[in-house]
Amino acid sequence: MNATGIPLKEPAIASAAGDMEQLERAYIDASTRVPVLMFYTSAIAWLLLGTVLAGVVSFKLHSPDLLGNISFLTWGRLRPVHMNVMVYGWASMAGMGTAVWLMARLCRTTLRFPLLLVAGAGFWNIGVLIGIGAILLGDSTGFQWLEFPRYVAVILFVAYTLMASWAVLMFRHRRGDQIYITQWYLLGAFLWFPWLYAAGQLMLFVVPVQGVLQAAVGWWYANNLLFLWFGAIALGTAYYMIPKVIGRPVYSYHLATIGFWTFALFSSWTGMTRLVDGPFPAWMITASISATILTMIPVATVGLNHHLTMKGYFPLLRYSPTLRFTVFGAMSYTIFSVIGVLISLRSVARYVNFTQASIAYSHLGLYAFFTMVIFGAMYYIVPRLVGREWRYASLIKLHFWASAYGIGLMTLMLLAGGFLQGADMQNPALPFSESIETVLPYLRGRSLAGILLTVANFIFAYHFGLMLLGLGRTSTVPTFLNPVDAEPSGGH
Amino acid sequence: MKGLAPLFLGIFGTFAFSWIGLTVIPNWQIGHLNPESDEEGTDIYPQPQSGMFERGAHVYAANGCVYCHSQQVRADYAANDIERGWGNRRSAPSDYLFERPVFLGKMRMGQDLANIGARAPAQQESPAPAGAASPVASPGASATSPAPATSPSSQPSPATAGGSPTTSPAQSSPAGSSSPNTSPPPGQRTGVASPSPGQMANATSGGNSPVAATAQTPGAPWPIQTEGLPPMYSAAWHHVHLYSPRSINLDSNMPSYRFLYEKRRISGERSADALQLSGSDVPPEGWEVVPSYDAKCLVAYLMALNQSHPLKGLRSTGGASAPGPSPAAASQGASPAPSPAAAKK
Amino acid sequence: MDDEPKMPPRTGQGMDYGEQADVLEVHAAVQREKREPRVGAEPLSIWLIAIYGLAIFFGGAYLGRYSGNFSGGGLDPMGAPPAPKKAVAGGPAGGEQVELSPRDRGKKIFAANCQTCHQANGLGVPGQYPPLAGSEFTNGGSRRMGMIVLKGLQGPVTVKGQQFGAAVMQPWDKTLTDQKIADVMTYERSEWGNNASPVTAEQIAALRKELASHHESYTEHDILAAPDEDIPGGAPPKPGEASKPAAPPKP
Repeated sequence: MNATGIPLKEPAIASAAGDMEQLERAYIDASTRVPVLMFYTSAIAWLLLGTVLAGVVSFKLHSPDLLGNISFLTWGRLRPVHMNVMVYGWASMAGMGTAVWLMARLCRTTLRFPLLLVAGAGFWNIGVLIGIGAILLGDSTGFQWLEFPRYVAVILFVAYTLMASWAVLMFRHRRGDQIYITQWYLLGAFLWFPWLYAAGQLMLFVVPVQGVLQAAVGWWYANNLLFLWFGAIALGTAYYMIPKVIGRPVYSYHLATIGFWTFALFSSWTGMTRLVDGPFPAWMITASISATILTMIPVATVGLNHHLTMKGYFPLLRYSPTLRFTVFGAMSYTIFSVIGVLISLRSVARYVNFTQASIAYSHLGLYAFFTMVIFGAMYYIVPRLVGREWRYASLIKLHFWASAYGIGLMTLMLLAGGFLQGADMQNPALPFSESIETVLPYLRGRSLAGILLTVANFIFAYHFGLMLLGLGRTSTVPTFLNPVDAEPSGGH
Repeated sequence: MKGLAPLFLGIFGTFAFSWIGLTVIPNWQIGHLNPESDEEGTDIYPQPQSGMFERGAHVYAANGCVYCHSQQVRADYAANDIERGWGNRRSAPSDYLFERPVFLGKMRMGQDLANIGARAPAQQESPAPAGAASPVASPGASATSPAPATSPSSQPSPATAGGSPTTSPAQSSPAGSSSPNTSPPPGQRTGVASPSPGQMANATSGGNSPVAATAQTPGAPWPIQTEGLPPMYSAAWHHVHLYSPRSINLDSNMPSYRFLYEKRRISGERSADALQLSGSDVPPEGWEVVPSYDAKCLVAYLMALNQSHPLKGLRSTGGASAPGPSPAAASQGASPAPSPAAAKK
Repeated sequence: MDDEPKMPPRTGQGMDYGEQADVLEVHAAVQREKREPRVGAEPLSIWLIAIYGLAIFFGGAYLGRYSGNFSGGGLDPMGAPPAPKKAVAGGPAGGEQVELSPRDRGKKIFAANCQTCHQANGLGVPGQYPPLAGSEFTNGGSRRMGMIVLKGLQGPVTVKGQQFGAAVMQPWDKTLTDQKIADVMTYERSEWGNNASPVTAEQIAALRKELASHHESYTEHDILAAPDEDIPGGAPPKPGEASKPAAPPKP
């Protein structure tokens, strides 16, 4: 669509202000259709690949001889591929797609140069593809979440520049004085990511720092990617979706401000907790643990803000898929952070460090929190892009419950297994192999949870595919999870 | 919020704070350490590593060893890494000066490898196949003679590496047959038929391998001895372990890295590098399994992982001291400085 | 933006692809959706502020407790002294680790605990706090000095011919470990021109055990009643101790 200007001030076209707003939104949605759908389609394709890989990786961990004799199918290569597919393929692309749409809506401007974004997404996909190829062929760098070799980093960076340039453009053309909360988070995410990525690449590969500091930089990067990139996008999305669906203002501006700035300030300092008791000056680790304790401030603030916004509207969770996924994700953010504090305290960390508990933690952050929020956003955004409603309420329900139970079970299994593994590891009377024996049943349980998540993700992908092919319902009412008797109060 | 300027500045400032605090300041503090030496400037530690080491580190990264193995020993007040025999002191920044990338690791689905090279048997005791890696063994190894240093402390907790009883050939009857090897059984000897890995090794390799005799040192100081296999943590042992982890430890959940090895027909003489396999892994008559260059580099890398050299300001559990490190060190008269353990009391 | 021709225009609801002209036919989802979110302005609750206070308190306390003195060499969170990276040239040889010498450690303990009264120059405050420099107690046997440090001193006391008595010396046996008391005594006995034998933690431990039944601070009379001797088990009987001898020369 080549309409770059919105005929807002034309009273001939629309008579009422409400109509004008609707028109404006329709134009905006139309302008974002191709890039956002491209982001979403690639993201979901990566999600499926990552899910399959996760299953293989999980099974191989307790059945090490499965597919073992081929170099590119060895566990040590599939695992980083799984992580990178999920992080850069699924989460980053889904997050950027959502962010593009939200940004356009909130800046009240159509997306300019959508082809730029399409090209960026294409480059990004190519980068991830080459990256996982490189890992499979044995060219991994060995730093968690930075396994892609340098040449891939260059591709990703170019792609990112292409994609980030729209944000600047959009902000320049935004209308209205107010910058809504979501925009703070999204703007933060889009400015933090390139800095983070560039700093990580420079300090690790171009001008590498000495010795253990590489590990410090690596974890600083990985942790900030989790918080400042994925976390910020997901929080921003939740700040949009919750008030939007229930049609009520966010509870408090002050809470939002405090929540945002303390989030930016403290969560960016938490990276060193994974290196507890390691060969580092103690203050680095302690500073991160303190920062983790201090993240309780944004967690409590944001959680309270969301909760009080939702207050009185919780029955809507019965109907609205978006709200249900988003609220699940927002609650997971609280749980994720509280567990983060618990396992980072030195006295606890010496038990759970080097165990599966840290895997539970990252799954909580990346799946229970981020991915669920993004699923919620997709349930909201996709119908607006394709002009159809989700076809089956039952599939959405199945998707939700399989995801919720799957990630819940996985977290529990990994946390419990991790704690027991750590307790065994700390018991000098037991041989080391005992700790592995202890955790293996839990890893099998994790594989079971993985099957649930696989089911969930494939259902969602199928449903999304139907939407993409125009096979959704054409209806004036959205697809609710449960039948609504009267006109639902949730505008969806 | 009105106005972009405060928003931008805040976003910029908070992140700059974290970036400076957690990467720039530490880099200024410990980013330019020098190797330590004694007064005469000799006995420098750590030292730059060989090219094989570098390449081995790359292999280590490529195959994701870091996702299961850490390379850091925690202090005795925090964990019992030292008591497990994984090192004789905690790791320090100086230990990693020349390592790039650094594989500290954050998961222990396998043992800590910070001192795996120090836990190897002393060089002269290594059987012949270790020759592949011996030139790169750490220069400090001979001076501090690490093997006896760690072995006494690992005695009280038998089977540090785990699962030793099951690997002993004596009680092998059910274990041997259930050996989970999905690999193509080489030749006519299938895993089901083999009575025990150890006996099989005797039967097959005893005849044509000159190594078998030297390998069976009965009273070896390292904890697990599997009959017919090279001494634990020697280069030859690493090769066998990488090729077939469950031939050494039935409970191991380490994947095998057979793709790093080449099975080839013996041309003329049997290669000195050929693996000394047992059980169902034994190649058919006239064939041998030899490590690729990558595998040799990986083992060279492992054999060079050694943090047993003392570092200034860090307490090592004494080399010859009795097992039970911390009380022993504390009772040595007035010499120990306020160790962390003492400071805590 | 290019059109997507894959979707033929359908009747009914939904914004059909490729029909930009018909701006009034707005997608049903857009029509029914609520307005863009706004922000309310409720005030902060007092409970939230309490949570902030709690988090800041615990975070700060944690940082203070486990900071390892913020030094690059302080690997141990409890603030064990950092490794003397630079000033090791004078350290004892023989492969032994170089720590801070007992005297250097004692200097720190002195600065933290004793300096307020006895002053950095060891001269005390006339009429109130007796000097340590040149004092007969400091330079005498370690037994008397150890008794004072462990259990404290009250009442008038004569040091270097001058009367003191306005202040009370507190007992240190509850607050300092044997090692620390030994270190600080070693420091005091070798600083400011003093030249007495170093003291070991074992000696202090022995003395502490010996005095365990005594609960009050000593008076000058009690102290003078004790023999002026070193506590048995000191450094001299153990010549093998390489790292012990009093003060390593300053580099």
